[in-house]
Amino acid sequence: MNAAQIRFASLLRREVNRFMKIKRQTVGAPLLETFLYISVFGAALGSRIHHLHGFDYIVFIVPGLIMMAWATNAFSNNASSILQQKFQRAIDDQLSSPASPGELLLALTFGGFLRGFMVATLTFITADILVGIPLRHPLVLIPGLFLVGLFFALLGVLVGVRAEQFDDVSFYQTFILQPLIFLGGVFYSATLLPEPYRTLTHLDPVYYMIGLVRYGFLGYTEVSVVLSLGFLAVATAILLGVNMRLFNRGYRLRA
Amino acid sequence: MPATPALQITDLVKRYPTGVEALKGVSLDIGEGEFFGLLGPNGAGKSTLIHCTTGLAQPTAGDIRVFDHDAVHHYEQARVAVGLAPQEPNLDFFLTVEETLDYHGGYFGMPKRERRERSAELLNDFSLTEKRNDRTRTLSGGMKRRLILARALMHRPRLLILDEPTAGVDVELRLELWHYVQRINAEGTTILLTTHYLEEAEQLCDHIAFINHGEIVARGTSGDLAETYGVRSLEDAYLALVGRKELSRAHVAVDVP
Repeated sequence: MNAAQIRFASLLRREVNRFMKIKRQTVGAPLLETFLYISVFGAALGSRIHHLHGFDYIVFIVPGLIMMAWATNAFSNNASSILQQKFQRAIDDQLSSPASPGELLLALTFGGFLRGFMVATLTFITADILVGIPLRHPLVLIPGLFLVGLFFALLGVLVGVRAEQFDDVSFYQTFILQPLIFLGGVFYSATLLPEPYRTLTHLDPVYYMIGLVRYGFLGYTEVSVVLSLGFLAVATAILLGVNMRLFNRGYRLRA
Repeated sequence: MPATPALQITDLVKRYPTGVEALKGVSLDIGEGEFFGLLGPNGAGKSTLIHCTTGLAQPTAGDIRVFDHDAVHHYEQARVAVGLAPQEPNLDFFLTVEETLDYHGGYFGMPKRERRERSAELLNDFSLTEKRNDRTRTLSGGMKRRLILARALMHRPRLLILDEPTAGVDVELRLELWHYVQRINAEGTTILLTTHYLEEAEQLCDHIAFINHGEIVARGTSGDLAETYGVRSLEDAYLALVGRKELSRAHVAVDVP
């Protein structure tokens, strides 16, 4: 490995090391949460709804849960990790190293991305063992989940860099991210909603992400797969560009 | 042909977004192998100068070169040549003592085997071998200080910057650190030291510069500085710099009945 590769590997290893050292909180808790969603919603609502668009209710919601696991873990990992390092000023050790802003940004981004991947994969395996989850369109699912993970990982980096206190991170998570995810149709199909809620759901970007992932697993969708993938790719690229600009400027990282 | 300076700062200006001008066109050369002291009151611009040199602050204008490598724009080689032991212990609480050194080496591009050998050497030098698997947050203040210095040295920098390295440490550790930095200076490492302990600067430094209100106001040996201010010691020269001559020990000795 050359010096740049060693730098990048070390920066990324630090991020993975951090969340693995507190895995009860970073991996265990999200898994339990997902398990509870499957139990409660599957048992309670599943007994009344039975089928949605030809699928068992619990099977219908699992793709959304997998997407939610990847998104929230990627986001919260990066936002918290960066803010903690800023508080301790431990990030100065990385900022004063020869690592470029791009190397730093990508390593921090992929830290959360990998945590999201791990939790989402474990969620999928658990759900597949419990209820059996089909995998209809892997060629849509893989880029779809990759982009969802990357988008929220980049969003976490952005919030972590901007944040000045932990309240800032929890604000985005509690008041913006969670409502968008819950109202995006993780637990239901937007077609069941009365107007104007059905139309309002179409304004929620997470609705299209869930639609994309659901199509990848189940082959069922209410959204245009091509358009959703395209918009998600563009949104991720824009977010990457914004973060790159901030890292180049040293925004809230360097004085 | 003159040797390349270890650190060459030319017309360095740093203006913060608040409008505060922390450095007002500072120029400073530190020769290779020197033990150089930068003294000044709090808020004089010492840490800002260090932060600009190490990439923690972005200069508004001016040029910084480390062993003739640009430290501002194309900084890779310059950063490899600098080691920084900051004023505040900024250790990563998630890491163990050994991981702290290993990751630092990695950030500076050191291969795994070299990192392993170098960290074992430094853990031994700084009496941290027994603590190598402990998390950094469990260390005592003195051990944190040692680890910070070990971390700064991990990638074998040619220029070591010590920003108040002995603030708040006990006498034994202070002397231990003095011996260590004197040894590595004798072995060829250039050292830039900021400190509020004037005897420390007097004892260790070949050359000293006074910085005040973002400007270098005097430089030379401690004898030169005393002469510049027309006083008898470095301490009195410093008191003259900050406008507190009345605090001179000479006055105290006379005033006390």
